[in-house]
Amino acid sequence: MKKALSIAALLVLCLATVFASGSAEEAATAASDEGQYKVALIIENTIDDRGWCQAMHEGILGAMEQLPGKIHYEYSERMTTVDSESIARQYIADGFDLIIAHGSQYRNMVSDLSAEFPDVSFAFGTSSDIIGDNVFTYMPESEETGYLSGLLAGMLTKTNNIGLVGPVDSGDAARYNRGFILGVEAVNPDATVNVAYTGSFSDYVRSGELATTQILAGADVLTGSSQQAIGALRACAEYEDVLWLGQDLAQLDTPEGQAKCVAASAYNYTAVVVGLIESLDAGVTGGVCIPMNFNNDGFIFDYNSALADVVTDEMRQTVDEAIASFRASAGVLSNWADVQI
Amino acid sequence: MDILINILSMTVPFSVALLLASLGEMFNQRSGVFNLGCEGIMAVGAFIGMLVPFSVGQGGAVAGGWNWLGLLLACVAGALLGLLFGLVVVTFRAPQGIAGIGLQMFGVGVAGTLFRHFVGGTQSIPGMSTTPIPLLSKIPVIGRIFFSHSIIVYLAFLFVPLAWYILFKTPWGLRVRAVGTHPRAADSMGINVNRTRYEALAVGGALAGLAGAYLSVCQVKMFSDELIAGRGFIAVALVYFGHWNPVKIMLGALLFSFAQTIQYNVQGLGMNVPYEFFVMLPYVVVVVVLAFTSRNQKTGPAALGKPFNREMRT
Repeated sequence: MKKALSIAALLVLCLATVFASGSAEEAATAASDEGQYKVALIIENTIDDRGWCQAMHEGILGAMEQLPGKIHYEYSERMTTVDSESIARQYIADGFDLIIAHGSQYRNMVSDLSAEFPDVSFAFGTSSDIIGDNVFTYMPESEETGYLSGLLAGMLTKTNNIGLVGPVDSGDAARYNRGFILGVEAVNPDATVNVAYTGSFSDYVRSGELATTQILAGADVLTGSSQQAIGALRACAEYEDVLWLGQDLAQLDTPEGQAKCVAASAYNYTAVVVGLIESLDAGVTGGVCIPMNFNNDGFIFDYNSALADVVTDEMRQTVDEAIASFRASAGVLSNWADVQI
Repeated sequence: MDILINILSMTVPFSVALLLASLGEMFNQRSGVFNLGCEGIMAVGAFIGMLVPFSVGQGGAVAGGWNWLGLLLACVAGALLGLLFGLVVVTFRAPQGIAGIGLQMFGVGVAGTLFRHFVGGTQSIPGMSTTPIPLLSKIPVIGRIFFSHSIIVYLAFLFVPLAWYILFKTPWGLRVRAVGTHPRAADSMGINVNRTRYEALAVGGALAGLAGAYLSVCQVKMFSDELIAGRGFIAVALVYFGHWNPVKIMLGALLFSFAQTIQYNVQGLGMNVPYEFFVMLPYVVVVVVLAFTSRNQKTGPAALGKPFNREMRT
């Protein structure tokens, strides 16, 4: 009897792991119609993480508004690299036309499945690699958004000590960081940018600790990218004379963002998703890398109205000029990779 | 000198979550139960801890009492999860390692699911502010390092000698050590092995819940699904590191946080060393110290991980 109860109790705990696994949701319940594309999103965090995953989710919702009736959308959250293939196969079996695996960690899964299912289109990023005729990639040229944040940081700092809380030195985070340094150097060569990494995209505690360390070391303006940056922003809110520059507009909606985030930029994934759908319409099922920059409206930049008095006209003019140059042509900061950290 | 003071003043508060969780795990293991579910209990504690002040203040400031209520309820939730774990591994005698992993997944999953239902996306709270101790916090150097933190920090470190006293100087502590060392002998002396293990698991769970709530209410003042990020497992390692002794566990938690804080500072110096080396530094330090001190593990509970069945000869 006890053995049976023991097995039952273990089963309960095992079943409870269902809670720990990802959730799949339907954002549009309409059945797939003629001319409508079934789009699935696979993400490692959640659609409301105020960062990387939320940006893509909102981008798809934006595309659905721009292309009414064109997209049937479902998403799966908290998909680890290991779990992602299983859910992707499920979507393929359900007849999905486009599977967006939002993260470069899904590269191998996409590579394998795209070869096995040539009639299904895949997209993943950040990456500029072309890995198959039915695979789109997207690469945010984040040195542009980093540069804008760097311009502001260089002009805002009073201590000439600026902190940068990075997740890892790769992908768009690496580009953002180097663009940030270029921006600071452009307006304030005397300022020092202290770059440090948490080693994680989602360790809020560590990013908060790292930001606290930088603030106590004298940093009065900080920035950071990926969803872990929220922890660093929260740490900034504990100090009176510290400001933050965001890499996601969702940060402006938080209480600490309202208090500390002078300005933020964001990825406009709506443009990417609309581009993907238009490509599918044109019969192009992949083999293309979509860059994201100001030139193709892949980025958005905005100020925090609650901190409008912090930003002088000179600062605004400097930033506006930079944005104008980015909009005029892509690749303005092609030297970003030369920056040594 | 300023850098060193900064490092030390951050080491103390950054170590508290690990300290509380590993002290709780110590009580579990001293009673002979190996609880790998510490991470899950911390996650639930972190969620419950922030839910109370968040619900009352809707994200805004609340009276300090609500933060305390959040911490208290996190302890209660942790104790209940400890008892649930006891039901599985003490009463039903399920394998402790597997059940612990189940509890870890259960806790993280439940916390994340309830969080999404009741709160929504990643959410911050004003949380508990620091309470510098009058006069003591004004002492040069020492004041910043030891006496300028939130009340939970002081309580956590005061709990270390208390835990030592409970474990080594009270009848209950003796019972806990007895059932973890030789449960059959303890049973023959009239000690109720299962009840003692349940009690230790409840205490351990309460401390793990408090550790999680410390993160969400006092340190980062926010909650997300991945807030704990493996700290529960580090806490388990620290128990081995500290040889099941509260004082040594405290030193282990401080050493880990010290190494962590040093790497945060050193990264900013612009040294030509890959950052990955600095990120892994705290873990390397713990592993190295653990390797060099493992010869003294004879002080560990002999019956650790072994279910007790008075009807079977073991």
